[in-house]
Amino acid sequence: MLGNQILKTPTSIFQGGRKTNLGILRVILAEMRKNYKQFFFTYYTLFWVLFLPLGNGLLYYFMYLPFTKTFIQFEWLGHSYPSMDIIGFTLIGQLAYTFFLSTLLAGAIFDREREQGTFEIMLLSPANRLAILLGNTFGASIRYLWLLVGTLFFFSFSFSIGIQINDFAAVFLSLLLSLLALLTFGLSLAAFSIHSRRGGLIAIACQEPVAYVSGLVVPQNALPQTLAQAGYLIPLTIGLIALRLSLLGGALLQDIQLLLLALVVMIVVYVVLAHYLIKVAEKSAKAKGTLAMF
Amino acid sequence: MWHFLRVVISTAKASLVAQWRFFRWGGMGLRLFPPLLNLGVAWALYNIMFEGKTLDAFGRATSNSDYFSFVLIGSIFYIYIVASLFGLGRAMFWERAQGTIEVLFLSPMNYVAYMIGVAAASFITSTVDVLLLFFLGNVLGFRVQHVDAPLLIVGVLLMILALFGLGLIVNAITLTFRDRVNTANTLMTVLLVFCGIVCPVAMMPEWAQIIGKAVPFTYGLDILRASLLYESDFANVLSNIVGIMALASLYIIIGIILLKRIEENSKKKALLTVF
Repeated sequence: MLGNQILKTPTSIFQGGRKTNLGILRVILAEMRKNYKQFFFTYYTLFWVLFLPLGNGLLYYFMYLPFTKTFIQFEWLGHSYPSMDIIGFTLIGQLAYTFFLSTLLAGAIFDREREQGTFEIMLLSPANRLAILLGNTFGASIRYLWLLVGTLFFFSFSFSIGIQINDFAAVFLSLLLSLLALLTFGLSLAAFSIHSRRGGLIAIACQEPVAYVSGLVVPQNALPQTLAQAGYLIPLTIGLIALRLSLLGGALLQDIQLLLLALVVMIVVYVVLAHYLIKVAEKSAKAKGTLAMF
Repeated sequence: MWHFLRVVISTAKASLVAQWRFFRWGGMGLRLFPPLLNLGVAWALYNIMFEGKTLDAFGRATSNSDYFSFVLIGSIFYIYIVASLFGLGRAMFWERAQGTIEVLFLSPMNYVAYMIGVAAASFITSTVDVLLLFFLGNVLGFRVQHVDAPLLIVGVLLMILALFGLGLIVNAITLTFRDRVNTANTLMTVLLVFCGIVCPVAMMPEWAQIIGKAVPFTYGLDILRASLLYESDFANVLSNIVGIMALASLYIIIGIILLKRIEENSKKKALLTVF
């Protein structure tokens, strides 16, 4: 029903000779619905969002077994947290990284539209471009439910993850800001992929480098310093530190306020960047007429 | 026999020309990034985080405490797994995508020879990746502890046989179910996690050890490591050789049966070119 309305709206706009935009919320919901119908119940989604994260989580956990069976040392700004549980450390890493991966893969939306031959139609519709991207990124995030359910199932048997919370506000804010920062980062990448025509490849090729420099597997203090510093440009790195400290290290709000501030700055920067990249792409599409070409 | 060999050589040649004339840096990156990540993590864990100290249990399981070299051998082998799953495992899938599968099945050749040719080309290309990784590993601290040449040759040959068998099975699945990436990706993850690439199987939880022992590559990896990193007793090596031979034979037999079934089905149902 909603889809039909959206399809009809551009026609009435052109017949009436008036230029109107579709409601942003409607566009977001329609994109989310499309994304859900196309991908939610597919093996492809199950692999990327459930099987691969759990498999990689096990792999990274196994990598610690030759060294220690229980705890590792985690440092942040000179403060040491000596007893961070390895399973918890790996699990939180995988949960955040998979969310990041979902938004990253959502960046391939324009590649798909181009392949399906619907890209120009999408750009001709009066829908807000940022709303299209947001809807698609939210849609990709919904697939993440698979991992949450899978994790609950997997860990309901016997695994202990060493949760140690001293400040719920710190946990809530680090979770919220991390997810928002990852969403906006995905949004920027999606906007960038309009220009590159390599959204899918970029998303897949980014995985391992990002996994390394973000401290997903080994903490930042165990990485070569240049790589560790490069990692701070990615919201996943900051989010992971904030989440691990507040969930496993018992950190208080004042301990992680610097991290939270960095996440807020990143959210603003990436939203502005995404908006700018979309505008540039649209302008170039009108000037050159080559956007739908491969 | 001569005809069989001609098919192997010409298929390998054609595949190699296709792979190198249309070389894709992106494809090479996708093949190399996962083992590079494992190496990078192993290096950081071993050298920086734990300062070269491993648990006694690791030393007992491997007769060696050099974790980085342990992972490097595993990662090198992992490259061949990727070649088997994504190269050989999708050989006929790509023939269909290119519109040449009917011509392939109309030609009077032995399809096992064709698959051997594809496997040879994939493994040769992967050897370039392996050399790159080996070079990088040496820069980062990998050192061969000793070389047992006969054991190394036996290990590599058995490993290639087992990978060939696995590739045949995956090829049948990807072709029949029209599946481009899911089967290969799933198997790749299972093998990476459970066959002892990053951690000795003996140190894994018991349930993971059971899965690891059902995979021939676990035995093959142990043979390769015994030939380059640590000296293993004869009984252990022999049990590994028997293990990988038994499982590799099983995989190859299943793979050849599946290949025959594909051929029969293609004649009966004529659905090979239908997507």
